[in-house]
Amino acid sequence: MASVASAPTTGPRSHPAGSAIVAARRKAPSWILLGISCAVALVLAAPLVFLLLEARGAGAGTVASLIWRPLTKTLLWNTVRLTVVVTLLCAIIGTVAAWFVECTDLPFRRVWAVLVVIPFAIPDFVVSFGWSSLSTWVQGFRGAVLVMTLAVYPLVYLPVAASFRSADPGQEEAARSLGLGRIQTFVRVTLRQAQGAILGGCLLVTLVILAEYGAFEILGYQTFTTEIFTELQVSFSVATACALSLVLVVLGIFVLGGDLLVRGTGRVVRTGAFAQRANRRHALGHARLPVLLAFVALVGLALGVPIGSSIYWMFQGGAASISGVSILSAGWHTAIYSGSTAALATLMALPVALLAVRHDSRAARLLERSTYLVLAMPGLVIALALSYFAERYAGGFGYQTASLLVVAYSILFFPLALVGVRTSVAYAPVGLEEAAQSLGARRLAVFRRVTLPLVGPGLAAAFCLVFLAGLTELTATLVLVPTGVQTLSTQFWAYQQNYSYGQAAPFALVIIAVAAVPSYVIARYFDRLPAHARRST
Amino acid sequence: MTNPPADLVITDLHKSFGTHPVLRGVGLEVPAGTFAAVVGQSGSGKTTLLRILAGFERPDRGSVTMGGVPLDDANTHVRAEMRHIGYVSQEGSLFPHLSVEANVAFGLSRRERRGSRVRDLLETVGLSGLGHRFPHQLSGGQQQRVALARALAVQPRLILLDEPFAALDATLRTSVRNDVHAILRHAGTTAILVTHDQDEALSIADLVAVIRDGGIAQVDSPQHLYTHPADVDLAGFIGEANVVEGIARGDRVETPLGLLEVRGGLDAPVGQAMTVLVRPEQVWVFPYEDGPGISGRVVSAGFHGHDSVIGIAIESDAVSQPITSRVLGALALAMGSPVRINVRGPVNAWPKDSEVVTVNDHAVERHG
Repeated sequence: MASVASAPTTGPRSHPAGSAIVAARRKAPSWILLGISCAVALVLAAPLVFLLLEARGAGAGTVASLIWRPLTKTLLWNTVRLTVVVTLLCAIIGTVAAWFVECTDLPFRRVWAVLVVIPFAIPDFVVSFGWSSLSTWVQGFRGAVLVMTLAVYPLVYLPVAASFRSADPGQEEAARSLGLGRIQTFVRVTLRQAQGAILGGCLLVTLVILAEYGAFEILGYQTFTTEIFTELQVSFSVATACALSLVLVVLGIFVLGGDLLVRGTGRVVRTGAFAQRANRRHALGHARLPVLLAFVALVGLALGVPIGSSIYWMFQGGAASISGVSILSAGWHTAIYSGSTAALATLMALPVALLAVRHDSRAARLLERSTYLVLAMPGLVIALALSYFAERYAGGFGYQTASLLVVAYSILFFPLALVGVRTSVAYAPVGLEEAAQSLGARRLAVFRRVTLPLVGPGLAAAFCLVFLAGLTELTATLVLVPTGVQTLSTQFWAYQQNYSYGQAAPFALVIIAVAAVPSYVIARYFDRLPAHARRST
Repeated sequence: MTNPPADLVITDLHKSFGTHPVLRGVGLEVPAGTFAAVVGQSGSGKTTLLRILAGFERPDRGSVTMGGVPLDDANTHVRAEMRHIGYVSQEGSLFPHLSVEANVAFGLSRRERRGSRVRDLLETVGLSGLGHRFPHQLSGGQQQRVALARALAVQPRLILLDEPFAALDATLRTSVRNDVHAILRHAGTTAILVTHDQDEALSIADLVAVIRDGGIAQVDSPQHLYTHPADVDLAGFIGEANVVEGIARGDRVETPLGLLEVRGGLDAPVGQAMTVLVRPEQVWVFPYEDGPGISGRVVSAGFHGHDSVIGIAIESDAVSQPITSRVLGALALAMGSPVRINVRGPVNAWPKDSEVVTVNDHAVERHG
C-alpha cells in the first residue's frame, strides 16, 4: 500500500509498549516451578557456601598465609601456562579439523567425523596412562601438553563443526564478491562466523584443565588439583586444601567472566534462515594427501595410542590375575552411580530449563545463569566441600555413602544435563500443547502424544551425557566412594598407582568400550539437531 | 457426530497481565456461520481475546457464551479441550514428529481415523498425496493448510484463526487466504480471524470488529465500516485517508477542497469547525492548469499497475500535507506539473474537538 502522507490520522493507536505486552502475555511461572528451581540453585550453590564456611572456620589469617606461599605461585604458574598452551593448541586443532571435515572434499569425511570425536569419550587419565606407560619422555609439562591436547580437543571440534555446518554460505560468497581472497575470506568471514563456537569450546577446555587431576598425577605434573588432593588424602590438611580450592574456584570464575566479556561483543547473525543452501565444499586439490595423512596422525595419536597401549599391557601379562567378577562388580557400581546421577541431574535440570525456555524473564535468566557457576567448581572441590559438610554438620552421616556421591556427581554434572534438557524443552513449545488441547486432547493425552515424543530424545541425550561423565569421573569418586567399593575408574586407578599396568589395562578398555555407547547416542542426537530445529515450526 | 456452527456472544471481557490491562470490556456478537474478523494493531489485545476464546487464558471478568452455553463467566471455565473450538495459530503449530496425515487425524478417534475423513480433508485443502510428508518438508502455505485441515477434522463449532497468513509472502498470502475463505464457507463453520491487516479483514470477512486499546471500537460489515467509520482515527486505520479541516455550512462542509456534500447529511450548527475525511479515490485529478476545481501541483506519483497514487500539494494555509488521489490505470503526470482536483461523492465529517484528533506523526509509517 502506498504511503499516504496527507492523512493526519493514526487510526487505532499502536500501543507504545507493544513488545512489553507480548512479553507479558507469557504466562507467569507457577510458584511451584519457581520454588523448585530456586531449591535446585541452592543445592548447586551449596559446595561454594561450604567451602567459604570452611575457610572461615580455619580463620582468615591462616587461609591468607596458606595462599601467600611460594608454593601457590608455582602452582599458579604451572596451571596457567598449561591452560594457555593447551587451550591454544586445542583451538587450532579443533577448528582446523572441523573446517576440513565440514567445508572441504576431504575423502572419507563421515568416517573422520566419527573418529575425530571419539577421544572425547576416553577419560583423560586413560590417555595419560596410555602414553606415560609407553615412554618416560611423556611426563611433566611437555607430557601434560601432549596428553591434554589429544584428550580434550574434541571439546572445540564439536561446537565448531556444528557451527560450520549451519554457517551461511552467502556470507563467504559476499566476501569473495567484495574482492577478498580465499585466505582473507577464511579469516575475516568463516572464522568470525565460528568465533562463538571456538570461544565456547576453549572455555570448556580451560575448565577441564583446571579441574583435571588423574592425568596430571600420572604425569607427575603439579597443579592446584594434584596439590589439593595430596593435602587432603596424604597430609589430611583440610585448611590448606580449602585455601588452595578457593584460589582454584576464583580462577574458574575468572575464566567464566572473561568468556562472558568476550562473548558479549561477538554476534553471529544469519539472515534468511529459511533459504538454506548446502555449503559448497572447497576442493583440496594437491593438499589432499598431506591433509589425509594429518588426520591419520591425529587419530593415531589421540585414539590409537591409548587403546593400543591398553591392549599391549593387557597381553603383556597380569591381566589373567584379574577375575571377571571384579570387573563386573566395579562395572555394576559404576553403572548404578552414573545411572542414578543421570536421572537425578536430568530431573534437577528440568524445572530450570522449563523456567528458562517457557517463562523467559530476567529472574529466570538470572537463575539459569547462576547455575553456570558450578562450572567453576572442579569435582575435587565439590567433593571436598560436601565431605566437609557431612562431617561437620551431619555428624559424619552420609560421608562416603552412595547418596552423597550421587549428589556430588549431580551438582558437578548439572551444567551438562541442563544443556541437553534445555534443547529438548525448546523442542516442545507451549503452542503445540495448546494446539493439541484445542483438538480435544486431555492433559495426560497431550503429555503422552505431544510433549513426551518431542522432549524424549533430548532427555535421553541429557541422560547419556551425564551417564558418560559419571562413567569417566575419577577425582570426586576417589574422595567420596563408599569404603570397600570400587568403581571402574577407582579400580583402574588403584592398579595403575601400583604400576600394575597389566591389571589396570582391562579396566581402561572396559571404560572406553562402555563410554562409546552413550557418546554415539549423544553424537547422533546433537548431529541432527540444527537441521531439524531450524525447519520444524 | 456433527456439530452445527454456533453463535458466539462475548460480554464485557477484561484481562490484565500483571498490572497491564490488555482487554478492558470487550463485547462482540458473532452470529452462527459468520466469518468475522477482529482487526487491530499489535498490542491492541486481539491475540489475547482469541486465546481467551480458545480457553488458553481465563478472563478476569466478563463472559463468553457459545450456542447459548456459557464457556467463561464468574463461575465457569470450560477447558480448551472441551470447547469444540478449533485454533489455527500464526505458525500453524504442526506436530513436527507426526506426518501430515497423523497431524490431521490427531483429534479423531481410532474409528474415525480409519475412514476416508483424513483423505477427504486433505483433498479439500488441496494437499492430496502429501499425507506421508512431515511438516518440515512442506512450504509455509502448505503447513497452514494442514493446520486448517487438522482443526476442521474435529468439526469445531467455531474456528479461530490467529494471523494465519502473516508468515506467508505476499503472493502466497492472497491465494491461501482465498482458499481458506472458500473452505470455511463450504464447511459453514463460524470463524473468527484475527489480523492487523485491514485489507485482509475487509476482503475476507462478513463482519469486521476493530479492536483498539483493549475495547471494540466498531463492529460492522466491511462496506459499512469503510463508508461510515465511527471516528477519524478509525477511518484512517481502515483505509487511506485525506483529513482536512472544514467548517459546517448548512448541509455541506466548506473545506480547502471545496464545498463538499456530507454523507448522511450534516447535523451541526453553521460555523462549527469540522474534521473532514476524503478518501483518495474521491479525489479526481485533471491535468489542466486552469479550469474548475482546486489548483495544485504534483509532488509524488506512484504507479501500481491497476492504479496510480498521486500526491498533490495545494496552495492553502489550512492544508500543509499533500492531498492523495487514487486514479485507475496509468496517469502520466510529471513532477511539479500543475493540476486541478475535484472531490466527487459525499465525504465524512465530524465536529472538531468532540473526538480526539491526533496530529499527523504516525500516518506515514503506519501505511508504509
